[in-house]
Amino acid sequence: MTVERAQVISRKCWRCKEPTGGPVCSSCATIQPPVPGADLYGLLGLPRRYFFEVSALEKAYRALSRKVHPDRFARKPAVERRMSLQWTASINEARRVLKDPIRRARYLATGLADAPEEGGPVLEPDFLEQVFELQMMAKADPAATAAEASSLRAGVWSAVESALRAWEADAGTLDGIPSLLARLKYIDNIVSLAASADQD
Amino acid sequence: MANIGIDLGTTHSLVAAIMGGKARCMLDDDERALLPSAIRYAPDGALESVGYDALARSGEGGGHTFTSVKRFMGRAPQDVAGEAALFHYKLADDERVVRFQVGEKQITPVEISAEVLRQLAERAEECLMGKPTGAVITVPAYFDDAQRQATRDAARLADLEVLRLLNEPTAAALAYGLQQNSDGVKVAVYDLGGGTFDISILELSDGVFQVLSTAGDTHLGGDDFDQALAAVLLKQAGLADPDGLNFRRAVRAAEQAKRDLTDSEEATIAVDLGGQRVEAGIDRASFEALIGPIVERTGAACRRALSDAGLSPGEVDEVVLVGGSTRVPLVRRYVEALFGKPPHTDLDPDRVVALGAAMQADILSGTSELADDLLLLDVIPLSLGLEIMGGVVERLIPRCSTIPANASQKFTTHTDGQTSVDIHILQGERELVGDNRSLGRFKLSGLPPLPAGLPRIRVEFLVDADGLLRVSAREEFTGTEASIEVQPSYGLSEDEIEQMLEDAIDNAETDVDERLLIEARVEAEQVLTALEKALAMDDELLQSNESDVISQVATALREAITVADRKRIADLTHKLDEVSAPFAQRRIERDLTLALSGRDAEDVAGQLGM
Repeated sequence: MTVERAQVISRKCWRCKEPTGGPVCSSCATIQPPVPGADLYGLLGLPRRYFFEVSALEKAYRALSRKVHPDRFARKPAVERRMSLQWTASINEARRVLKDPIRRARYLATGLADAPEEGGPVLEPDFLEQVFELQMMAKADPAATAAEASSLRAGVWSAVESALRAWEADAGTLDGIPSLLARLKYIDNIVSLAASADQD
Repeated sequence: MANIGIDLGTTHSLVAAIMGGKARCMLDDDERALLPSAIRYAPDGALESVGYDALARSGEGGGHTFTSVKRFMGRAPQDVAGEAALFHYKLADDERVVRFQVGEKQITPVEISAEVLRQLAERAEECLMGKPTGAVITVPAYFDDAQRQATRDAARLADLEVLRLLNEPTAAALAYGLQQNSDGVKVAVYDLGGGTFDISILELSDGVFQVLSTAGDTHLGGDDFDQALAAVLLKQAGLADPDGLNFRRAVRAAEQAKRDLTDSEEATIAVDLGGQRVEAGIDRASFEALIGPIVERTGAACRRALSDAGLSPGEVDEVVLVGGSTRVPLVRRYVEALFGKPPHTDLDPDRVVALGAAMQADILSGTSELADDLLLLDVIPLSLGLEIMGGVVERLIPRCSTIPANASQKFTTHTDGQTSVDIHILQGERELVGDNRSLGRFKLSGLPPLPAGLPRIRVEFLVDADGLLRVSAREEFTGTEASIEVQPSYGLSEDEIEQMLEDAIDNAETDVDERLLIEARVEAEQVLTALEKALAMDDELLQSNESDVISQVATALREAITVADRKRIADLTHKLDEVSAPFAQRRIERDLTLALSGRDAEDVAGQLGM
């Protein structure tokens, strides 16, 4: 089973030395330093899954924001204000990544929120040829290009989702995801190309 | 002591605080909440007056009144040249900082705004019977980093501790929001002020007021309505190229007509322009035809904000109007048509932002009950990015990201032994560097000399809760902390602000002296005018050599006024009062005798000001 509960890191408060029980010490209300490179799911206290209700994420995010936001520490010492700022920036980033279906899939598969600049997966020549042809026809026939691109996109996206579903059921890996997402990026470029050609 | 909330507006400003458990605007001695954001300087650049007086005298010569200075805050001189010409403000020759030339002096928009803030802080100090601890100052949601920084600098010059820069529509939503309890409510705040337009879409859930998106135009507002109508008046007066005085007179007349047209179908305008009397009538329909295109410019921003929030107009539950310009009936109809529902207008659109700022100030006090119920989450209005090879912008933090937000980027060197790297930061949505707003250049220096490509410099960008950018850097290969030098592209640098603060302390005494000098001159002139009038009317009441003595002292006083010697002016004014006292006494006695023969003594005494 790869789906695991977010690990609750048990730490001691840097000020009162009691166990913290969360980002803000339950004994002395001092904010704790954020853990560098923490897992985005762990930050929000969510189970590491792909399929979930966005409303559950938003609820967890709001509850945590109310605890760590700089507004709560405006009159506290600078060191606590800085921690609060870092905490809030991290959970804002976690929410941004996990809310977005593509970023979330990439994060689960690679641990990265955004596609790497270089050294991405190598795509099959057949696919690249298909993309090239669509690109060529985008200007002349934007409507047909858009239609073909979206049907191509639907196919790729359903492959992404079935891989994720299999992974959650412990019946597959996420190894194919980076290459599927790279395809998606090509296709989305064509969709926007067709859209702008349509506007001209 | 309490925290205060300040709405630093284009045309007027307010200060509010929680008093008696409720957010209230503080009033001046004449029970007015609004302070016109108008500052008047004497021809030599000395500060003359702030607020109503400065505004009332904007159409007079012998000094210079600045209004709508917010439009110039944090902007590049070349970007505001047209606007400065429109307002007839003379810009000093400077490529980086907007400076207005007044006589020999150069005055920045930051310093002018600081005077407005100082005035409000004084009012707060009187109302609260003590210096306020800290202030929340509102800014248009669509203000970029440089504009926010300029606002913060103005507060520093005014000796105010800024607890938070709060977006105006968010403040307004806060003021309204407490009256609603339902979860998942989506609110659109349409904020059309004197010179800025903002639209923000917010959602309220679990006591968190979250901004979903924001858009706007920092150069669009009621000022533009006034100027459109003023242009018509000036044309009628045959003034194709009006001077500053005539321009300001026309604008003031237009503004009055705009106000009249809110409740009446027709307004009449009578104003002296270029030596002739212009009288005109305008009906609401013609006014609306004139301003229609300006109002429609708000539509594009509204559609963008909706699309960034992923909502259709019908999905917005509530629409709130903020800003004095939303009193214009055409604006109300336009908003109603755009969102398909009537907007809320329960709170005074002029005051709602200040009230929300006071609430946030209270939340930040750490002792507020509000703080347990409510949290505001705002967004960054414009994307932040870096210049990469080929003059292209790489976006680091996209627009409408919830703040605080962070991003990091790795850099390396291109030549062997290179010890510094230049980084150019931009804000905006366009692809090319030149089309975006340049915020500043950062120089990372103190890198260890290593072969090209080996250093790994990690630069962290953090946008704080004020929407202001902070940058830090570290070379990871050797673990050296790289130092960062910030040179803002436009606006005042940290050193310049420090210098101004020092000057302010040095000049505090001179400033007080200057103010007292102005007061002494005004008083002297009043005494002289009154005396001249009396002499012209009743010179037969003068005795023996009285006339010579009076005229001697009067001449000395007239001379003294031209010299900046306050003590001499005050002494001579006093002396003149003394030597002319018997003459004044005789006039009063004469008038009383005359009056008693025919009229009620009390009545006459009243007329004589006794």
